[in-house]
Amino acid sequence: MSTPPRTTPRTRRPDESMTLITEVMNHPLDPGYAEAAARRDTRTRRPAGHLAYGLVAVALGTLATVAVISLRAPSPAVVAARDVLVKQITARQAHADQLTRDITDASDTIAALQSQALAERYPGLLKTIEDDSVASGAAAVTGPGLVVTLTDADDAVDTDGTVDADKRVQDSDLQLVVNALWASGAEAISINGQRLTATTAIRSAGSAVLVDFVGLASPYTVDAIGDPDDLHDRFAASTATDQLDVLQESYGIRTTTKTADHLALAGGGASTLYSATPLD
Amino acid sequence: MIAFVGLVIGVVVGLILQPTVPVQLQPYLPIAVVAALDALFGGLRAKLDGMFDDRVFLVSFLSNVVVAALIVFLGDQLGVGAQLSTAVVVVLGIRIFSNAAAIRRHIFKA
Repeated sequence: MSTPPRTTPRTRRPDESMTLITEVMNHPLDPGYAEAAARRDTRTRRPAGHLAYGLVAVALGTLATVAVISLRAPSPAVVAARDVLVKQITARQAHADQLTRDITDASDTIAALQSQALAERYPGLLKTIEDDSVASGAAAVTGPGLVVTLTDADDAVDTDGTVDADKRVQDSDLQLVVNALWASGAEAISINGQRLTATTAIRSAGSAVLVDFVGLASPYTVDAIGDPDDLHDRFAASTATDQLDVLQESYGIRTTTKTADHLALAGGGASTLYSATPLD
Repeated sequence: MIAFVGLVIGVVVGLILQPTVPVQLQPYLPIAVVAALDALFGGLRAKLDGMFDDRVFLVSFLSNVVVAALIVFLGDQLGVGAQLSTAVVVVLGIRIFSNAAAIRRHIFKA
């Protein structure tokens, strides 16, 4: 018994469902090459054709090289972008500085005009404003007073870099001293050159003490203007002095107090107008 | 043969001039380079097979690059740019691999 011969003209290929992969795997070469080889003998090529091919090849080579180069070195674009950002930041900062200067100039002008205008018509009001600006800390003042200096303990920062917060001057310590000075009759106070105004806060952010949102560092010099002897006596009698003694004994925070004949305190920056009522 | 010579001259020109590519064309560069590599390997294999043809080589080179860039462009417009790029890279990668294997057989007889 013999099996009948398979006579079907077209048998299904076993890999018919994978023709795409087969095509890609088995015929990677462009079929055009075979066709071109087959018809090559039948015609000859003109020299102009060679020139055109050469030019196209040069163009393609240039394109491919440029593509590879720009892919290999994407940094110029990144660097350029960063340069642009840096330039913008610098320009904006310069602009902001300029605006700050403008504000300061305008404030001075306003103050001068205000004094000028009020001096003629309302001299009493001008006097009130000047007194208030001293009290509120807006105006720069000079005079005798008391200088209290607080310094972090020497071993606040260990040799291995760890910080013992208890051995550093904290915002509450400065608040204590400042409140005691106000209570002792101080007319104006500044800490490390930062004038305390009616709205100045003494806070801490992390390990830094902020006065009017400006970070300060030890030693903290508290300048208070007022009658030196009176200030000294009343401050020495206040509870703050007792607490400063405790700080020194327990944590090594040093405090010095001395009177000064001449202190110059800067103004507390531009004042903000919150409310206004018309005259008369 | 003139195609290979021209290509080499073009590479040298590109290395010397180093022109910058417009930012709009940047996304198509990787695929274009892979397509160019495919054409290059195809041409090399055809050369070893003894049926290299300048015309076919240049046309396949050019059309490979253009079609690859076109596919990526289309994919970007349809929101499947990454997937289509992968597809192009897979197909061209397989072709490059097969042609490289053929070239290897020609050179090392193994």
